[in-house]
Amino acid sequence: MRNTWIVYQKEMLETARTYKLIWIPVVFILLGAMQPIITYYMPEILQAANNVPQGILEGYVMPGAGTVMSQALGQYSTIGILVLVLVAMNSLSGERYNGSAELVLSKPVSPAGFVIAKWAGLFTILFLALGLGVASALYYTEQLIGSLPWMDVVAAAALYGIWLLCALSLTLLFSAFLRAPAAAFLSLLSSAGMALADSLMPSWFQWTPAALPGLSARLLSEGREAVGVNLSPCLSAALLILFCVAGASTLMGRNKLPK
Amino acid sequence: MERVNWGLILPLLALQVLLAVIGLISLWKAENVRGPKWLWIIIIVAGNLLGSIAYFTVGRREI
Amino acid sequence: MMQPLLQVSNLRKSYGRHLSVGGISFEIAQGSCVALLGPNGAGKTTTLRMIAGLLPPSAGSIGFTGSYQGGDFRRELGYLPQSPAFYGWMSGQEYVVFAAKLAGMNRKEAEGKAKAALERVGLKAAARRRIAGYSGGMKQRLGLAQALVHRPRLLLLDEPVSALDPIGRREVMELLREIREETTIVFSTHVLHDAEEVCDEIIVMKDGLIAEQGALSVLRSKYSQPVITVRTEKNAEAIQWLNSVGAKPFILEARLNGEHAVFNVDNLKQARHTILKEAAASNIPLLQFEAGSSTLEDMFMKVVGG
Repeated sequence: MRNTWIVYQKEMLETARTYKLIWIPVVFILLGAMQPIITYYMPEILQAANNVPQGILEGYVMPGAGTVMSQALGQYSTIGILVLVLVAMNSLSGERYNGSAELVLSKPVSPAGFVIAKWAGLFTILFLALGLGVASALYYTEQLIGSLPWMDVVAAAALYGIWLLCALSLTLLFSAFLRAPAAAFLSLLSSAGMALADSLMPSWFQWTPAALPGLSARLLSEGREAVGVNLSPCLSAALLILFCVAGASTLMGRNKLPK
Repeated sequence: MERVNWGLILPLLALQVLLAVIGLISLWKAENVRGPKWLWIIIIVAGNLLGSIAYFTVGRREI
Repeated sequence: MMQPLLQVSNLRKSYGRHLSVGGISFEIAQGSCVALLGPNGAGKTTTLRMIAGLLPPSAGSIGFTGSYQGGDFRRELGYLPQSPAFYGWMSGQEYVVFAAKLAGMNRKEAEGKAKAALERVGLKAAARRRIAGYSGGMKQRLGLAQALVHRPRLLLLDEPVSALDPIGRREVMELLREIREETTIVFSTHVLHDAEEVCDEIIVMKDGLIAEQGALSVLRSKYSQPVITVRTEKNAEAIQWLNSVGAKPFILEARLNGEHAVFNVDNLKQARHTILKEAAASNIPLLQFEAGSSTLEDMFMKVVGG
């Protein structure tokens, strides 16, 4: 337990030294603010682009605050996931391949402790980045478009965060036995696959973690009362995350040595 | 353009610049970069948000 | 006799059909310095990794004196792999503090011990620099510092000097000689000379098995056998004569290689007399005749080469 904490501290020091602690939150803040700003200034943007047909400009209707907020969160399921997965792809594979894991695991550190510390480090980055990103999206939405019940926003962001955490955990799992690029590719592929399956057959996949972004969007546009309590995607996400961490620990226990 | 509220937009531009500056500092100190450094300078400076993201995720080789 | 610190029995490691370590047993006494000697691929690294708990053995057991929760005695170990990898963004001091904390020290104690360990391996001046800028020799010494910082009861070093230049090698050997006064060391090497320089015991491995083991002094006298080396001109008659000498009763072992022969004999005086007399009588064109004794090096070369 104690050594897991020490490895976690080392993870966070690395996060700060390699500027991850600054640049990832900054990217999330910019992504979050972009959506309300683009939505609000769309008429000006269209005007600036010269040859726009007349009708489009007149027909432009400003979307509601809830819609804008859920679009802002939607940014995180594309560029956001990509950034997080590319950051996480090295976490276990880098240490395995260059041999720094060998040295750490020769100390009284269990493979599970090592993996949990890595996971917690990734979780911290995600929490910080998504928290600040959502705050900036909310701030700009309220300034430019309209106000939102902030409890709904927190709940929607939490649902989104769980979905992103699933992608991170998958990356960690793949990174425990593959090289970094392969791990990134596979985890992007599996999250995209889940999302696609959910969008093609929503009724079949509404209990999977892939339903979380949709749930989050509905929560913002229709409000908490209309959506009600739907725990099954959260539960399946928790199980997926648990499976990933346990699987990564087992694999790490088997491959402590550099190839 | 009178509708544009610069008080809202400027902080974001500042953050964007901050991101590029951090990228350039990190590039300056980095010993292990994929590809030539001058190319990354161009990508970071000209590539806006995506340029900086590209540098931080694939340009830096972590050791 | 004192209870051994480490007891390895019937240790095996196989990867599929390939047998890397084929069932070896040995004991390491407290305070001794043992060299694991052998050519590349003999199974030295695999053996050390199994002791360090990085590889699960396929069979056999590793016993460490003392009682440890779940048999985990890693806190008492210092391990240095052949080419240690660190975190390049850390400073040397930070890494050794990290290692000391993992071994159970609090921050304050870890910082003090890390400083001392770095000074000891000669990295005091570079302690605050980033490891990414360290040379190979500095990394090896940093590896030694992180293995030593918690005063382990057993130090496992895998080829600690093989990647170093002569000066770096000298420095690390010097350090090992100092450290052996304080703790038990097991280190692997493929150079007999390195083993003789620091250690008093060797375990010679070949193809995953122990070919020979014991105290260096004992082995030296054991392998100090009288030896006669003979070389003749290259002709059939002479070679035939060499073969006939090889069959004589006083020859313990004959190694013939064409016109070149090495005989291990039991009685040097008698053998020399007989061989020279026969050579003269049969008019054998001798080129070289040498009577002396074999060394540990001969034994080692035989193990490694054969």
